[in-house]
Amino acid sequence: MNDVLREARLFLRLRAALAAVLGLFLLAAAGTAAGLVEVARQNDAIRRIAPQQAADVQAISDWVSRDKDAGNAAYYTFHATWDPPSDLAFAALGLRDVAPYLLRVRALGLEAQLYEGDIGNPEASLPGRFDYAFVLVYLTPLFAILLFHDLLSGEREAGRLQSLEAAAGDARRLWAARVGVRVTALLLALALPFLAGAIIAGTAGWKAAAVLLLILGYIGFWTALCLVVARMTRSSVANAMTLAATWLVLTVIAPAVGHVAINTAVPLRQGMELSLHQRTAVHKAWDIPKAETMQAFFATHPEWAATAPVIQPFHWKWYFAFHQVGDQSVAGMSRDYRAGILKRAAWSERLGYGLPGVAVQLALHRLADTDPAAQIAYQDRIRAFHADLRRFYYPYLFNETPFGAADFDKAPAFRAKGDGGTLPAALFAGLLIVTLGTAVIGMQRSRRPRR
Amino acid sequence: MQAETPPVAIHDLVVRYGERRVLDGLSLSVGAGEVYALLGGNGAGKSTTLQALLGFVAPTSGEVRVCGHAPSDEPVEVRRSIAYIPENVALYEHLSARENVTYFLDLAGARRRPGEIEEAFRTVGLAAEAWERRVSGFSKGMRQKTAIALAMLRRASVLLLDEPTSGLDPGAAADFNALLTTLRAEGAAILIVTHDLVGAADIADRIGFLDHGRIVDEARAAGPERFDLRALHALFTRAKAA
Repeated sequence: MNDVLREARLFLRLRAALAAVLGLFLLAAAGTAAGLVEVARQNDAIRRIAPQQAADVQAISDWVSRDKDAGNAAYYTFHATWDPPSDLAFAALGLRDVAPYLLRVRALGLEAQLYEGDIGNPEASLPGRFDYAFVLVYLTPLFAILLFHDLLSGEREAGRLQSLEAAAGDARRLWAARVGVRVTALLLALALPFLAGAIIAGTAGWKAAAVLLLILGYIGFWTALCLVVARMTRSSVANAMTLAATWLVLTVIAPAVGHVAINTAVPLRQGMELSLHQRTAVHKAWDIPKAETMQAFFATHPEWAATAPVIQPFHWKWYFAFHQVGDQSVAGMSRDYRAGILKRAAWSERLGYGLPGVAVQLALHRLADTDPAAQIAYQDRIRAFHADLRRFYYPYLFNETPFGAADFDKAPAFRAKGDGGTLPAALFAGLLIVTLGTAVIGMQRSRRPRR
Repeated sequence: MQAETPPVAIHDLVVRYGERRVLDGLSLSVGAGEVYALLGGNGAGKSTTLQALLGFVAPTSGEVRVCGHAPSDEPVEVRRSIAYIPENVALYEHLSARENVTYFLDLAGARRRPGEIEEAFRTVGLAAEAWERRVSGFSKGMRQKTAIALAMLRRASVLLLDEPTSGLDPGAAADFNALLTTLRAEGAAILIVTHDLVGAADIADRIGFLDHGRIVDEARAAGPERFDLRALHALFTRAKAA
C-alpha cells in the first residue's frame, strides 16, 4: 500500500500525465453525455408517438366510419412499432444510429416497409457516432500509450533508472506500483463518467459491472502491450512510434480489412434491393389475372380459399393478397438477408477474439442491445406484429365485414421489448486470453538480463 | 577466530558480454570505514564492477558479496545496504530537493525521524533556500549534495560512487570529499570508480588500477602525504598501457 501511495503522490505531480488523464475523463464524460442526449431524444420520440398515433387513428376512424370499409381502414391506418433504447444504450449506440428505432407499418406488404429507413442516414454509418464506446475503443489506447510508452525508457533517458532500481531493492514492486497507479488513473477517468451515466440511465448492476470489467480488460491489454514494446525497444520515441503504429493496425486497419474480408466472404444484398424486388412483385399483380394472385395467396392462407372469388376490377382482399404475395415472393431473399446479417455478425465476433478493440466494441453493443442481433430481433417483432395485423384485418376483408369505429380499438397493439442485452461470454473470454497472453509475453521479456 | 567479511568483497569475478570479457578475474575488497578508488580508462570495466555489485549484471564466474549477500541471488538485500550515486545525479526535476529525498527514502523503505532531512541537508551544506526549490535549477554540486544527504539518511553500509567529482570545481570537489570523510568516519564502505587520479588520491585509502577487467596494481595511503602522486601517475600510465 505504501508503494502505491508513494507512486500516486509522484504521479499527481506529473502535469503532463494529469493533463492526459483529465483529457480522457473529459472525452469519456462528453461521450457519455452525447449518448444520454441521444437516448433521451429517442425516448422522447417514442413517447410522442402514442398521442400522435391516437390522433391519426381518430381521424381515419372518423372517415372510415362513414362507409365502414375495412379496406380503407387497413390501407390508411399506420400502426406504430418502436424499439426503446436499453438501459445501457447511452454508452454504445451501435446500430441505433443507422437502423430505425421507430417504424409505422400498415397491413400492406411488409418487406418494402421494413427497409424504407435504409436510405435515411447512410453516411452516419461510416465514422460512427461519438459515444462512450468510441472513446473507450478508439481513444483510450492513445492515452494508455501516452502514460506507458516511457515508463521505463523515460527513467533510463533521465539517468534515473539504475538509481531507482537500486533504491527500490525489489524493482518489481516499484514497477508494479507505478503501473497500478497509471492503470487506476485511466480506470477512474473512464469509469466515473460511465457510472454517472449508468446511474442517470438506471443501468442494471450486472451490465455496469460487465462494462467495468471490459474497461479494465481493455486497459489491461494496452498496458501489457505497452510494457512488451517498452522491453523490446530502448528509446521513448521509438516506443511511442511503435505503439502508435500498433494502435493504428489493431483498432483501425485490421478491423477494416477484417470487415472487408467478411463482407466479401458473406455477400449480402442491400435492404433497398429487397424492397425493390418486393415492390416489383406487388406491382406485377396489376398486370396478371387476379386468380393467379389469389391462388398464390390461398396456397399459404388456405383458410380464406372458400371465400367469394374476386370478379370486380378492384377489391381490397385482392389488393392485400397481392401485397402478401409480394412479400412471399421475396421471402427467400429476406431469409437470406437476415441470415447474412447474423452470419456477418458471427464472423465479426470471431474477429474480436483476436482484436481486443473489436471485442470490446462488439461486447458493448451486445450488452447495450444495439448490435445487428438487436436490429434483427426488432425486425422479428415487427414481422410478428405485422402478422397479427393481417390476421386482424383479413376476416373483415375476406368476409366483407363492416369496420366501425369500435373495431379500431380491437386492432392488435405492438408490444415493445423490455430491457435487452446479454453477456457476451465468448468475447469476454477472448479479451481475457489476449490480455493475459500479452502480459505473459511482457513478463517473459522482463526476465531477460538488462545491461 | 574467523576474519570479518568486508562489506564489499569481489573474488575472481568474470563478466562477459557476448564474446567480450569485460571483467576478467577482478578481485577487490572494501572494508567498513574505508574508501577504495578504482581507477581505469574508458572500457576498463569500472561501471561494470558497479553494475555487478548492484546486481544489474550477473557474473559469468567468480564471486561478489555485499554485506555477505550475493547481488545476483539476493538483489533486494544487497540494494537495501547500498547507496548508489551515479556520475550525473538524476533526480525528479519537477520535485524539490526535499520531495526527491522523501520519495527515494520511501522507495528504499528507510525510516526517518522528524527534522532528520533538514539535518542531513545542513550536514551536506545544501543551503536552506534550496530545500524547497525544484531541482531542475540545481548545479551538479547541489545535486550531489542532495544525493549524499539521501545516502546519509539511508544509513547505507556501502556507498558506490561513479565519477563523483567529474565536472565539479575544486571547491565543490573538496566539499564533496569532506562529506565522504564524514561517511567514512561513520563506518561506510565507500567504493569510487573514477579516472580522476588526483581526486582519488585526495580521499581514497586504497587505489586499485583497473585494466582490461582486472586490478593490475594497487596503492595504499600512508603517512601525512598519503600518496606519492608521481608514483601513482606512473602506475596509472603503466596500467593504461598494459
